[in-house]
Amino acid sequence: MSWESIIPNVLAGDPQTLACAAPAAAMDNEQFAAFYARSARSLWAYLARVSRDPALADDLTQEAYVRFLCADHPQDGEVAARRYLFKIATNLLRDHWRRPQSSSIDEIPEEIFAAQSGEAHSDSLAMLGPAMAQMRPRDRQLLWLAYAEGYSHHEIAQITGLGSASIRILLFRARRKMAQLIRSGGEA
Amino acid sequence: MSPFTCSYERELGKALHDGRWPTACPDELRAHVSSCRSCSDLVLVTEALHASRRSATDIARLEPPGAIWWRAQLRRRNAAIEKMSRPILGAQIFALVITLVVVAGIALWQAETWSSWFTELPSVLHLDALIPSSTPQAGILWVVVPVFATIAVLSGIVVYLASEKQ
Repeated sequence: MSWESIIPNVLAGDPQTLACAAPAAAMDNEQFAAFYARSARSLWAYLARVSRDPALADDLTQEAYVRFLCADHPQDGEVAARRYLFKIATNLLRDHWRRPQSSSIDEIPEEIFAAQSGEAHSDSLAMLGPAMAQMRPRDRQLLWLAYAEGYSHHEIAQITGLGSASIRILLFRARRKMAQLIRSGGEA
Repeated sequence: MSPFTCSYERELGKALHDGRWPTACPDELRAHVSSCRSCSDLVLVTEALHASRRSATDIARLEPPGAIWWRAQLRRRNAAIEKMSRPILGAQIFALVITLVVVAGIALWQAETWSSWFTELPSVLHLDALIPSSTPQAGILWVVVPVFATIAVLSGIVVYLASEKQ
């Protein structure tokens, strides 16, 4: 195959040629629209509640779907696709948090997140907002994935990249702290 | 039971996830939750997060899927073009290096011939008529060569800009 024959196909968006660049991007437009309708709200909720920044959640939701469509994502059903999507979103969040200076998600001062609490006005759960603000970002991720999304420890390990064995302990501690904060009205 | 789990946790977690808690759960489980701190924490946190999830999904601001699909297509296309142009760029760099080496080789080989040709060039073109008589003859070459070089460079820039506009 010559360059002259390949490049016009690429420029024209030829599906066969594009498949070479992204071999498993197998969803067509309608399939994607249906998948998006089923998954986008929960992904946005995850990003908005964990980041505590709805504007950031808007951006990262779009970026997560674009990367999902461009990537070699798993073909074994919607559950795996959703998990993969959450993994992309988790990595995007981590990249966002790392961007300023900190090298780890745990090194980011909580003031950054506390300052972004404009969305708390729309949060009907007055007790949960302050409690979430007190939690470390990683703990918020773990709690959300486990108890809001219902993922297993193994799935959370796949999404976050943490060790499967440590998820149980981290979740236990985060849950205990969260419960204390909710009971005390968000005051540590 | 490990220090981090309760034997009822799995059953309770499933009931919470399926929406069966508390009405569709056995009395034994309800009685346990009221006396187990770990399980009461689980109920409290899960119910709060479920409520938060419901409120967040209601206010989610989503872009139309078509726009995201289109953006992904564009990114894939650009990635494909970039992937395919990489060998072309490599070939261009290789060709440029070879050309420069050949030009340098020829320049070294023909240096003597060209030097004498350059020395005779002003008299062949009668350029000495343009140069003030006070200027030494040996220095004419150092005027002619930069003039020609400047003309060549400017011509190249003009051609480049003209082709860019088109």
